[in-house]
Amino acid sequence: MTMALEVRNLVKRFGGLVATNDLSFDLAEGESLGLIGPNGAGKTTVFSQVMGELRQTSGSIALFGEEISSLSTAQRIARGVSRTYQVPRPFSDLDVRENIRVGLMPDSLRAMIFGAADRDREDELALSVGFTRQDLDRPASELSMGDLRKLEFARTLATGAKVLLLDEVFAGLTTGEIAMIAEVIQDLRHRGFTFLMVSHDLPAMEPLVDRAIAIERGTLLAQGAFADVLADEAVRASYLGVA
Amino acid sequence: MNLRPHHFILWGLFIAGMFLMPELVGKGTLRTMIFACYLAMFAISWDILSGRTGYISFGHPFLIGIGAYTTGILTRRYGFPVEASIPIAVLVTMAGGLIVLLPALRIKGSYFALVTLAVMELMYQLVPVVRPDLTGGTRGISRLPALTRGAENGYYLAVGLMLAVALMAWLLMRTRVGTALWAIGMNEESVRGSGLSTTRLKSFAFLVSAGVAGMAGAFYAHYLGTITPRAFFDINVLFQIIVAVLIGGAGTIVGPIIGAFFMVFLLEWLRPYLPGQERFFVYGLIALVIYMYQPRGIMAIVEGAWTRLRGARS
Repeated sequence: MTMALEVRNLVKRFGGLVATNDLSFDLAEGESLGLIGPNGAGKTTVFSQVMGELRQTSGSIALFGEEISSLSTAQRIARGVSRTYQVPRPFSDLDVRENIRVGLMPDSLRAMIFGAADRDREDELALSVGFTRQDLDRPASELSMGDLRKLEFARTLATGAKVLLLDEVFAGLTTGEIAMIAEVIQDLRHRGFTFLMVSHDLPAMEPLVDRAIAIERGTLLAQGAFADVLADEAVRASYLGVA
Repeated sequence: MNLRPHHFILWGLFIAGMFLMPELVGKGTLRTMIFACYLAMFAISWDILSGRTGYISFGHPFLIGIGAYTTGILTRRYGFPVEASIPIAVLVTMAGGLIVLLPALRIKGSYFALVTLAVMELMYQLVPVVRPDLTGGTRGISRLPALTRGAENGYYLAVGLMLAVALMAWLLMRTRVGTALWAIGMNEESVRGSGLSTTRLKSFAFLVSAGVAGMAGAFYAHYLGTITPRAFFDINVLFQIIVAVLIGGAGTIVGPIIGAFFMVFLLEWLRPYLPGQERFFVYGLIALVIYMYQPRGIMAIVEGAWTRLRGARS
């Protein structure tokens, strides 16, 4: 089995605070892994280190067998990993189509100047996450939280990444929007995409992941099948507040 | 923005009006318009970097000054023809800006603005004392070769240059680079998170901005015929450029042109009533009121009025 992501002995310290403590896990190609833990457990910090937005204190991160620790965020995205954020970060004055266009842009000035935007692909990506054709010209500043999540999802897909890190992808969504995004994720799973997913909405997450890992204060508590991880005593004590 | 037939009609009328202007107004007004054209070029140059990416540059007079001094030194001290000195001035401005200001693009917000301001002030203090045999010290360089004779020809040259700069900036901003620069101004982290090197994009915007500033500065120096440190590396030059962009409409091509003409003519109209420095107070007040009423400038006010007019008709 080819490994899409291999995290080994990852450590991140902020002064005296250990945000990631000797964390190791694997993510196979085409697999979907849930990363769970209470608030402040260090889940987003793991995402930031995988993306190169934060440099780890020690440890290694490999993507499709290649060590990526020394690469910039742009280089990591070019190699096939991308992420969404807890709080959506749209380009508020740009419309839906233009927001997605930024994700589709090649990281080359020459290509950006002399190449044309692929409007068909922009539309295809927007429609694939649930936008309608009437939404395409709407500025991001007019979108609801649910639409902003969809937009961020579409822009992440636009980068061409095959490994997607979804941070609180269901936060702020209505039940209908959650079902719609879940459907999109399932479709992408069938198409071979690999997911590392963080969500506090465990019932929504459960059908979307093959297995889960639980962390607390950056330390691995348990890993395995979703139900087994939730049933783990240490996880229940820390995450659910019951012994 | 998608182009519609009325855009072409408006631009056609504007260009025709500009080129007919010498037949309609006196030489004094033409000279005012020449200054407005150069200010518009400086403002477009500033807007390419700061209006799009949100990195507020206080160092543009430094770039304009490099262009002006380079062509001045080459033509007056070394006898270069202007055909060679102006392109060299553009390259020197880009290179000088690259060395001095580019590292500042790695810092953000007010820190970037402060570094650029410091560079401009440094230049203002250094030019008179370092190699005064070349720069002319505090007295500057005079009797630069003129590119045109008479106000009419100077006007046509200035208008032609301004339209060329506006066209170049418009074409560039219609590409995906324009969208990406605009996106940096809204959320730089998201642009980086979309797989783009924001340092490369900002550097490119800076180089284009510096090239335009250097070119406009060089032509302006030959139009004036004289260069002094006070005329170029002065905080008032900076304020005029920024105010022109803000009251015209940042992040647009037409906005800086409207802002430059509005500002220059406002100051001229105020001159008979307020011949002293107090007219700058009035113009500052008017700029403030416009900015408070519509932070996107006159351009947005006109667009809003046009939209309301169309809504009322239909």
